[in-house]
Amino acid sequence: MRQYVLRRGLFVIPTLVMVTIVVFLMLRFLPGDVVHQMLEGYAYAPTVEALRRELGLDKPLLVQYATWIRDIFRGDLGHSLWTKQPIVQEFARRFPVTLELAILTILVSVVVGVGIGVLSAIRQDSWADYGGRVFAIAMLAIPYFWLAVLVVVLPSIYLRWTPVWTYVPFTENPVENLKIMSIPALVFGLTRAGPVMRLMRSSMLEVMRQDYIRTAWAKGLSEQVVITRHALKNALIPVVSIIGIQTPFLIGGSVIMESIFRLPGVGQFFFEALIRRDYPVVQGINLILATFVILLNLVVDLSYAYLDPRIRYR
Amino acid sequence: MRRLVLLVSILALMALACRPATAPTPTPAPTPRPATSPPMATPTPTPSVGVTPAPNLPAPTPTPTPIPTPAPTARPRYGGTLRYASPEPPSLDVHAQISFLTQAHGSYVYNGLLRFPYPQEQKFPADFTVFPDLAERWEFSADGKTLTLYLRKGVRWHNRPPVNARVVNAEDVKFSLERFAAKSGFRYRAEPIDAIEIVDPSTVRLRLKAPHAPILHNLADPSFMYILPKEGATFKDFNSVEATIGTGPFTLESYTRGVQLVYKKNPAFYLEGSPYLDQVVWEVVADSATRLALLRAGRVDTIGYRGFIAEEEARPLAKVRPDIPMTKYQRVEMGHIYMRTDKPPFSDIRVRQALSLAINRQAWIDTIHYGEGCIDNGPIPCALQTWKLDISKEEPAKAKYQVGYDPAEARRLLADAGFPQGLAVTLNYAAVVYGAVWDSRYQLAQQDLEKAGFKVTLAPQEYGLYISTTYLGKYEQMAIGPVTPFGEVDDWLYGFYYPGQTNNRSHVDDPQLTPLLVAQRQALDPAERKRIVLEIQRYLLDKAYYVYLPIGSTFSVHLPRVRNFVQHDSYGMGKMVQWTWLEEK
Repeated sequence: MRQYVLRRGLFVIPTLVMVTIVVFLMLRFLPGDVVHQMLEGYAYAPTVEALRRELGLDKPLLVQYATWIRDIFRGDLGHSLWTKQPIVQEFARRFPVTLELAILTILVSVVVGVGIGVLSAIRQDSWADYGGRVFAIAMLAIPYFWLAVLVVVLPSIYLRWTPVWTYVPFTENPVENLKIMSIPALVFGLTRAGPVMRLMRSSMLEVMRQDYIRTAWAKGLSEQVVITRHALKNALIPVVSIIGIQTPFLIGGSVIMESIFRLPGVGQFFFEALIRRDYPVVQGINLILATFVILLNLVVDLSYAYLDPRIRYR
Repeated sequence: MRRLVLLVSILALMALACRPATAPTPTPAPTPRPATSPPMATPTPTPSVGVTPAPNLPAPTPTPTPIPTPAPTARPRYGGTLRYASPEPPSLDVHAQISFLTQAHGSYVYNGLLRFPYPQEQKFPADFTVFPDLAERWEFSADGKTLTLYLRKGVRWHNRPPVNARVVNAEDVKFSLERFAAKSGFRYRAEPIDAIEIVDPSTVRLRLKAPHAPILHNLADPSFMYILPKEGATFKDFNSVEATIGTGPFTLESYTRGVQLVYKKNPAFYLEGSPYLDQVVWEVVADSATRLALLRAGRVDTIGYRGFIAEEEARPLAKVRPDIPMTKYQRVEMGHIYMRTDKPPFSDIRVRQALSLAINRQAWIDTIHYGEGCIDNGPIPCALQTWKLDISKEEPAKAKYQVGYDPAEARRLLADAGFPQGLAVTLNYAAVVYGAVWDSRYQLAQQDLEKAGFKVTLAPQEYGLYISTTYLGKYEQMAIGPVTPFGEVDDWLYGFYYPGQTNNRSHVDDPQLTPLLVAQRQALDPAERKRIVLEIQRYLLDKAYYVYLPIGSTFSVHLPRVRNFVQHDSYGMGKMVQWTWLEEK
């Protein structure tokens, strides 16, 4: 096991090196130039050169890359070219917003998706089932950003009200914070509940036809016990996987949700940086998120190895 | 019925999500502050700018929908908080960042040596008459190469360390202008300045390399040379609340990135009685639909930059929400088709003239601007009335190449130029970024040009690519798009036609024109300068170096309680808000 952990852990290093190279180069090969964007119609040659020098973009790519890596080892991801703010500080301030939105979204999608999925399965071919299936397909078909815009815009037209407020951190005022976060989480969560519901329903139907469930019924157990204690646990396994798969999507989707509901999260920060070609910010956020995913994968792999000894002997 | 269903659905969605929303809280009845009356004259509403009719073309018809304008209130009211929703400034350092949002922030907290008119002084939104600000007067030497500025006595900095409400002096001016020249993306504005001399604590002398008429405008423009305290030399930058120390009508109280900026009234502002508002809150909202929703819901008093709203949003809004005051006016803006006039086929004047004659400008106004707009929008924009040539009084045979529509003549010119079968061209543009109206313009340009014998391939470019290549003149054939709205006429002439200038996207190099461009910027006598500017415009009438596109109106919205929100065509949002008051607190 120790050898496996060591071997698997060592793989992290080349993976991270690859990530830094790919992120650095891809960004530099993107068409468009941050200096020209900053200067727009005022990009006179001497000004362009002076600004490029000031931002350190006049140095060869290799030097820029080496400087970035050196600074990473010093715990410094650099500063935004536009706002001049330290990236680590800005990320730390914004990440809780994105994380909270992601957690609440998962919560909504699981509660709604699992609930309707189970109901659909145990009342197969009833009106409840039809209703649940229509809901799931609708949630799959409706783009979340479109629904978000409707939820923000329509009440403002017809009710002269809109569910958008000035963001308050959870630590400052939990009630106000939850009021602000609930609508975006609900909108995002409902659209994510569609696939969860469909998978839950089919998984539940399959489990309900298993012999051990039939045995449970034969033993005279109540419906509640059969479903919650015997069927649901097993039917949830594939659902948990799909929730895991959706997590990167939640981070990506947060870009738009944060923009529409004016939440100061990482998504909006990243998106603006990408549009403005704010190289250090895009590199820094990518590196942090990639590290997060790589470490998560490492933990998953190690737990598989722990749970299933066959894996570590391959 | 559909509305009802929609309403029920939305309500159900809301009910599911959280507790019922609080309706916009009515503001308590205002308590007017007695006795203190501002020393300024009662502001007048902004006069609307007329639409310039083009020769040989019918005058634009007025819009069928009347758009309400706010009734002027006789007496300003003190106090209250104005909230507005806008994208975030990328930086607070006005010398280090040229973004209009950064400059808008600067206009709350800083002053320049000179300024443009306040609402009660301006004749129209693009009135760029120069007034004293931190400098109470100025004078040019006889040879026009020395500009002496006399500072207003007793103006104090915001009371914040390390400056601590010290009096503004000549050293601050020298520090600021030198920092601007070293750091700013606008630094070319300071290039005519050879040296900055401190004569005494309240007198500064600028030695110029040559007489330079635009210098006064540039010292007044809120997007250029703000005066910062000399202690800033010890700061890392001016990009924090602590470092934001100015002399302006507001102080920056707090800034939560991605959330809001809060400005408080500067009680020691040098103009007694100004500003009227106690506080201004800049709510950071990136999405335009969300901004409009916040306004409709009454959560913010105005939106975007200076309350601007897209025409396609403004006109329907005026119909359904007549209670939201809306100002309509002609803003300084320009869109044009530019081309490589330094090489064939556009080095041939006949091809360029054919291009210009191919554009049905009135049809554009009718199609995308609801029948209202300005057709003759170049080389100086319609809104810059002070400098604009009245084309209706010019020789029609020449003027038609600037504003006329004649596809048959265009085809003939193309044939004469050696393209009887038509000419294949590629038209670059920035995809998506400039909004729906521009997306329509690209299509209309293609349609019109094809009717005149051009075979147009539209070439959309991602914004980053467009702005760093095509927009800087690095392209193969032709391009179309909007340009930076300048307030100084020199930018529209010298900038767009002098060889080698960044904004000379058409690569114009005309030996007859070039001396005139230099002459107008060296003419310190306004009458003489205007004569040269008009001469330049007459000369350009039939040259078709650029194809100028018609423009529509600009709309600005705010809640009814916001009064005296008078538009001025500069980046000085703070200077507007300085004279704005709220009917209720």
